[in-house]
Amino acid sequence: MNEAFFYFLQQLLNGLTVGSTYALIAIGYTMVYGIIGMINFAHGEVYMIGCYVTFIALTGLAMLGLESVPLLILGAFILSIIVTSAYGYSIERVAYRPLRGSHRLIPLISAIGMSILLQNFVRVAQGARDIAMPSLVTGGVTLGNEASFHASLSYMQIIIFVTTLMAMIALSIFISRSRTGRACRACAEDIKMTGLLGINSNAIIGITFVIGAILAAVAGVLLSLYYGVVNPYIGFMAGLKAFTAAVLGGIGSIPGAVLGGLVLGVTEAMTSGYLSSQYKDVVAFALLIMILLLRPTGILGRPEVEKV
Amino acid sequence: MRLHIKPALFSAAITLALSAILLGVRLTQVGTELKIIGADIDVIWKILAATALIFFYNLFREHIERTLGFLPHVNIPSRLRSIGTRKSIQRLFWCFIIAATLIFPLLGSRSQIDLATLVLIYIMLSLGLNIVVGLAGLLDLGYVGFYAVGAYTYALLSMYFGIGFWTGLVAAGIMAAFFGFILGFPVLRLRGDYLAIVTLGFGEIIRILLNNLTELTGGPRGIGGIPKPTFFNLEFSRRASENAQTFHQFFGIDFSSMHRVIFLYLLALILVLITIFVINRLIRMPIGRAWEAIREDEIASRALGLNPTHIKLNAFTIGATFAGFAGSFFAARQGFISPESFTFIESAIILAIVVLGGMGSQVGVILAAIAMTVLPEMAREFNEYRMLLFGLMMVLMMIWRPQGLLPMKRPHVELQQ
Amino acid sequence: MSKTNQRISKLFATIALAGITSYSLAAEPIKIALAGPVTGPVAQYGDMQSIGALMAIEQINKSGGVNGSMLEAVTYDDACDPKQAVAVANKIVNDDIRFVVGHLCSGSTQPAADIYEEEGILMITAASTTPELTQRGHTLIFRTIGLDTMQGPAAGKYVVEQLKPKRAAILHDKQQYGEGIATAVKSALDTAGIPVALFEGVTAGDKDFSALIAKMKKENIDFVYFGGYHPEMGMLLRQAAENKLEATFMGPEGVGNSDISAIAGEASEGMLVTLPKAFDADPKNAHLVEAFKAKNQDPRGAFVFPAYAAVQVMADAMTLSKSQDPEVLASTIRSNSFDTPTGVLEFDDKGDLKNFSFVVYEWHADGSKTALTNE
Repeated sequence: MNEAFFYFLQQLLNGLTVGSTYALIAIGYTMVYGIIGMINFAHGEVYMIGCYVTFIALTGLAMLGLESVPLLILGAFILSIIVTSAYGYSIERVAYRPLRGSHRLIPLISAIGMSILLQNFVRVAQGARDIAMPSLVTGGVTLGNEASFHASLSYMQIIIFVTTLMAMIALSIFISRSRTGRACRACAEDIKMTGLLGINSNAIIGITFVIGAILAAVAGVLLSLYYGVVNPYIGFMAGLKAFTAAVLGGIGSIPGAVLGGLVLGVTEAMTSGYLSSQYKDVVAFALLIMILLLRPTGILGRPEVEKV
Repeated sequence: MRLHIKPALFSAAITLALSAILLGVRLTQVGTELKIIGADIDVIWKILAATALIFFYNLFREHIERTLGFLPHVNIPSRLRSIGTRKSIQRLFWCFIIAATLIFPLLGSRSQIDLATLVLIYIMLSLGLNIVVGLAGLLDLGYVGFYAVGAYTYALLSMYFGIGFWTGLVAAGIMAAFFGFILGFPVLRLRGDYLAIVTLGFGEIIRILLNNLTELTGGPRGIGGIPKPTFFNLEFSRRASENAQTFHQFFGIDFSSMHRVIFLYLLALILVLITIFVINRLIRMPIGRAWEAIREDEIASRALGLNPTHIKLNAFTIGATFAGFAGSFFAARQGFISPESFTFIESAIILAIVVLGGMGSQVGVILAAIAMTVLPEMAREFNEYRMLLFGLMMVLMMIWRPQGLLPMKRPHVELQQ
Repeated sequence: MSKTNQRISKLFATIALAGITSYSLAAEPIKIALAGPVTGPVAQYGDMQSIGALMAIEQINKSGGVNGSMLEAVTYDDACDPKQAVAVANKIVNDDIRFVVGHLCSGSTQPAADIYEEEGILMITAASTTPELTQRGHTLIFRTIGLDTMQGPAAGKYVVEQLKPKRAAILHDKQQYGEGIATAVKSALDTAGIPVALFEGVTAGDKDFSALIAKMKKENIDFVYFGGYHPEMGMLLRQAAENKLEATFMGPEGVGNSDISAIAGEASEGMLVTLPKAFDADPKNAHLVEAFKAKNQDPRGAFVFPAYAAVQVMADAMTLSKSQDPEVLASTIRSNSFDTPTGVLEFDDKGDLKNFSFVVYEWHADGSKTALTNE
């Protein structure tokens, strides 16, 4: 086991960490797309709101005298899930539902407007400055020889992997086993037909947005703990990256979103590690274009059937 | 009358969740420590009032809607359209508009004319994107890339080879068209939203490359000292550079910097008029019909013998050309360009103009370009809330008029009964 | 109308007339445009500029104004967007204002400066540090802050003479300000023969630098210079500490912000930063610091006192030359020296300060700093 291997391993771990969080946000995009075929550009802002609520919850609970770290994190999860769910649901209700059935570009513009609106709402409410808090979870494990270059894996990274994995499993079970999940899949196949069969498709669409928002909240909590910094502008870039990940994996496919997120994260880390960080985004987008040229519907996307 | 207690409670709870935390407390950095401070008491009252309002609105929803009736339905466009069908009136209308825009610089103040020039740049961009999105139905999220190519082509040519505006304008158009062609070739086999993300990717790649290739483009430092357009080699400056003459010397009038502002405006106006003219012709030509055929039904048009790839590539290239023209003009107006002017949000705004105007409709797109550029300027007094209102306006406009301000109408003849 | 009523209305008319005459007797206020970002991601830097300038205007007015006229601030928002900056510049021309303090971001200052120069408007920036701004032969453009080309060598000199690192990494945020300084530092290290193993840009607004830090660890970097602002520097410090990259970090004044200790926590201890002299610590400025504190404003921001100085230079030049003609003022500014809270200022032909010294500070985790070099 030499240095080069551990360096590669370290960059792989770094990439997977970033990739997991892309994946969590990407699922929100992909589920909404799968059901109503629209790009929810405001999803990145939901993640940003999740981060802010995490900060407020952690600071607030700490000020109230709560000291146990797991309880603090639990509180942050609960609160940010409640708030982002409300946002996810309201965004759909206010900005997209009235536009159901119009040209597909219309909700896209509405979504971009919503994204600008939310970003500036938070800026007005909470200020534009970077807000920071100290790390709650520190320490980690070392892989390899301490004397030479060694890979390290922090506990926080482990928490991110495990939580992402658990969220994925929970979501898959929900989608494949539960009644609501079945209705979701039915809506994705044919929303009109599902409505005719007595399923309240509006409610299902609302639930889809809420699920996306919950996963964004999970990402928000994890990333707030990991990076410890938030500002009102983080949602935009995160959303863009997650959207890229969703398309890379095949938009509409949940495993695709996860895979896309991980591929994107690892690509970025490898580019930074072996090439130069200023070409990170160029390589990521170039990879996306290459993959789409070879597989026009993404890695795991179903080929679109052209209906006449 | 039924009371909807459950939905009312639900809505009230949602409202509370939306506002209570983000508005009710504020994160503040005290020294190096993070604290939260509660909002003012009146903010809390406002949150509660909003919650109560939503609760009671939903509680008495049926009742309120019955008394209010529905929102008044505004239907100006249909009236406009009926006027628009009469050819003589239509011509008169256009003459009036052109006359008004020509007289405008004599009446407007300097900053108004400058703003109008900016509006014209956006009109040019939106008309170009309108070909791609509105007519050919290809969702392009990286349009700003071609705008950047145009701007940088002129800036670089003038920096390295001392090329003037007019040559630069043509070169920028050609270069952007070339980029459109090259990028369009591989990506046009993708469909719908895949195309959108790939164009977005290309737009970002172009911007990042401009930023990274410091030796060539100056990177983030940008390019300054880009020459302004000349009027038949007459410069608009106080003192002429070597081998040149200034406009005011030639005509023997006093120097006024307004001349240049007005000249830039008129130049932009001419470019826009040419753009409108060209696109108007294109729409009526077979190629324009083919664009729309592809947008409406790709398979059917293929069955009718049209080559979708060629047609899409045409639309992409021609759209990019106009972005190139607009870019070189932007560079000339600014005199300084850097990659930060060509971010994704710019693409999004141009796209919003096209959609807001009513896809495919030229008049609608022009109106929307005016609205999207002038409104944020007018809203300057709102300062902090400016962008917030801008976003809100975008959402409300889409809900209010999803088909756009003036939806497109094909030129057609109706049989009189 | 009764007699008394008539009399009363006459009285009012006289009072009103008197009011009008007395108003027209007093000189018109001199308007100064404050151009910078009020909105947008860098609005906090715009704040620094405006509180400094507004305080100067307040103080000058309190002591009787300039040649009997009061100063009046008019705020313009360019959101640090070059396109809007041109619009703002045209608006200032349009509003017939002859004096500008601003702009802030170099990208918006440059196109705006071209317009001011041509329209005969005096512009003093308190924040734009790019050398290009004053290299184009403009006569009406000044600045009350040091250039990137002064700060880079100042940092480089300290690194070469005091730190003597074995392997250095130089990073920047791919923006005009950051890349400019980083390049200057790199050339200083190159001349001194210190190996620069990495010279890379990062994306502004990025949060994850783990890949870059792993790379620096592999390269055995013991000195990192970052040209940019505090949010990225904070994240770099924080993640470097978490990944046990043992290197000395250094940055320009853009990172010397109390927020950096909030972001990086303990990791900000020992960071080096080049800053202009701490004007708020100067006992001479104690009364101003008090005045800022009374208004609940933070006088520590890097652009607060330079903005104050910018207004004062304008006002003093007006007093000296008894003129309000920007061309006259420009030559007055060039040929005189001005005693301002940022020291005695003299300007060279280009419009830059003749001497603006940077001090190397060591940063502490509580947000305080100690000077390592003399001025």
